[in-house]
Amino acid sequence: MIVNLLNIRFKQFYREILRIGFFRNIVLLGISFMLLVFLYLQTNNFPNAMYASIIVLLLIIMLHTKRDDKIFLKINFSSHKWIYFIEYLFVSLVLIVFLLIHNFWEIALLTIAVLGIITQIDLKKNRTNYNTKIQKWIPDECFEWKSGVRNLFPIIVIIWLIGISFSFFVGSVPIALFILGIISLNFLEKGEPYQMIIAFEKKPNKFLSLKIKQQLAILSIISAPMIIVFQFFHSHLWYVPFIVYIVFCILQVYAILVKYSFYEPNSKSTAAQIFIGIGFVGLLMPIFAPLIILLSLRFYLKAKQNLSYYLNDYY
Amino acid sequence: MITIENLSISYGKEKRVIDALDLTISEGTINGIVGLNGAGKTTLLNAMYGLKSIETGGIKWNGEKITKKAVSYLVTEPYFYSNITGNEYLSLFKNKHFDVKKWNELFLLPLDQIIDEYSTGMKKKLAILSVIKQDKPIFILDEPFNGLDIETCRIIRSIVLGLKEKNKTIIMTSHIIETLTNLCDYIHYLEGGKIKYSKEKNEFKEFERELFENLENKSIKLITELLN
Repeated sequence: MIVNLLNIRFKQFYREILRIGFFRNIVLLGISFMLLVFLYLQTNNFPNAMYASIIVLLLIIMLHTKRDDKIFLKINFSSHKWIYFIEYLFVSLVLIVFLLIHNFWEIALLTIAVLGIITQIDLKKNRTNYNTKIQKWIPDECFEWKSGVRNLFPIIVIIWLIGISFSFFVGSVPIALFILGIISLNFLEKGEPYQMIIAFEKKPNKFLSLKIKQQLAILSIISAPMIIVFQFFHSHLWYVPFIVYIVFCILQVYAILVKYSFYEPNSKSTAAQIFIGIGFVGLLMPIFAPLIILLSLRFYLKAKQNLSYYLNDYY
Repeated sequence: MITIENLSISYGKEKRVIDALDLTISEGTINGIVGLNGAGKTTLLNAMYGLKSIETGGIKWNGEKITKKAVSYLVTEPYFYSNITGNEYLSLFKNKHFDVKKWNELFLLPLDQIIDEYSTGMKKKLAILSVIKQDKPIFILDEPFNGLDIETCRIIRSIVLGLKEKNKTIIMTSHIIETLTNLCDYIHYLEGGKIKYSKEKNEFKEFERELFENLENKSIKLITELLN
C-alpha cells in the first residue's frame, strides 16, 4: 500500500516537473544545486548542522500542518502515519545524508526521531474567523488580504504590537516586518475561482498592476507606523527597516507574478509555491537578487499570457 | 441571435467531444441542452463562454464573435475563495442597480457569514445571485437546479422566466429532463458531438419518450445478461 502511494507521489512530482517547463526546470536545478552545496557546507560544523536540522524540521512541521490530504489518508489508510513518516524521511534525506557524512549521527538520529513525533501531530484546522472592523477597511478586491487577515488576525495584531511596543530594541521592528512579510506572502498561495478574475473586467497587464498596487498599498500601511517608530529610537540605522520593507515589496510583486504565471482556478500550484520559496531564499542571499528580478520579468510575461485565457475579451 | 457554425472541440489529439456542431439560438428564448453524461454539454457551454479552445468553426452573437462581456455563466459546481463572506464575494461583480438585500429576500442567505460555512445548496444560491448580478444579455446555466430544494427550484424557475421577459437569452442544462421540457422554449439534444435534434418543447416530448424507451431497452438487455 505504502509503495503504491509513494509511486503515485513520484508520478505527481513528475507531472509538476513537466508543468514547470524546460527553462524554469534548468533554473530550478541550478538554484537547488547551489542550495545543496550551501547545506553541505553548513552541516560541516556543530552549531550550523543543528540549525540546518531545526530549519528543515520547521519546514516539515509547516508542511504537515498545512497539507490538505490528511483526511483522505486517514480514511483510506490505516497506516497513514507511516506514510507521513516515509514521505518526510524522503524530504529530509539529503540533510540526513550530509549529517552522517560529517559524522553528526546524533543530530541525524534526533532529526529522524523528531520526524516521527511530527507524524503524531494531529492539529485540527482552527475554524475561528475574526470578523473585525479592520477587514472592512480592506477593499473587497483584495480578497487575499481579507481572507488572510480574517484567518490570522490575532497573530498579525500581536506581531505588529510587539514590533511597535518593543521598537526601542533594535531588532524588534525589522523582525516584525520580516514575519508579517512572510505571513502576507502566504496569502497568495491559493488560486481564486476564475469568476473572481473575470469580475475585474480588465486586460491582463491592468489586472496585474492593480493587484500589485493594492498588495503594496496594504503592506505599506501596515509597515509605515513601525518604520516611523523605529526612526525615533535608532535614527542612525534608519535604512534597516527600509531594506526589509523593500525586500518584501519586491517579494510581493514577484509572488503575484508567480501566482498568476502558474494560476489554475481553485487550486494551489506546487510550482508556484516552489518558485515563491526560491524567491524568498534568493532575496535573503544577495547573490540571487538579480536572478529574482530577471525571473520577475519572465514571470510577468508568463502571467500576462496565462491570464489572457480568462481576460482575452477585455482588451 | 447566437449562431454556432461547424464547431469542433477536442481534448488532446484523439478525443473529439464536439464535432462540426451547428446550432442557432434566438434572442429572448429559453434553451435546454440535453444529452447523456459525457455528451459534451459542459464543453459546449465552456466554449460559449470562451473557456475552451475551439478547433474549427466559431460562435457568434448578433454577427460578432461572442465574448465574456455578453455572458453570465453559472457553473455546475461553484467554488469560492475561502474565508470571505457572501457579501464580499458579491461585491466583486459590479452592478449599481442590483439590490443585494432585496434579492436575498428570495434566498435568505447569511451574507455576512464566511462562505466556507455555507451548505452546498447555499453556495449554489450565492453563485446564482452573482450570475443575476452580472446581468448580461446571455445567461448560461449549467445544471442550475442541482443540489437545490423544491422551493428554491421554483424560485429559479420564476427568475428564468423573468429574465426571458427582459429579452435575455437563456441556455441551460439539466439532468432532470422534465424541468427543461416544462421551462424551455427549445430543447437541443446533443449526441456524438453534434446536435441530433433541435425541437420546440412540445415536439420534444414525443422524441424524449422514444429515446428513453430505446435507452431503457438497451440497459435492461445488458443488465439481464450481466445478472445471468
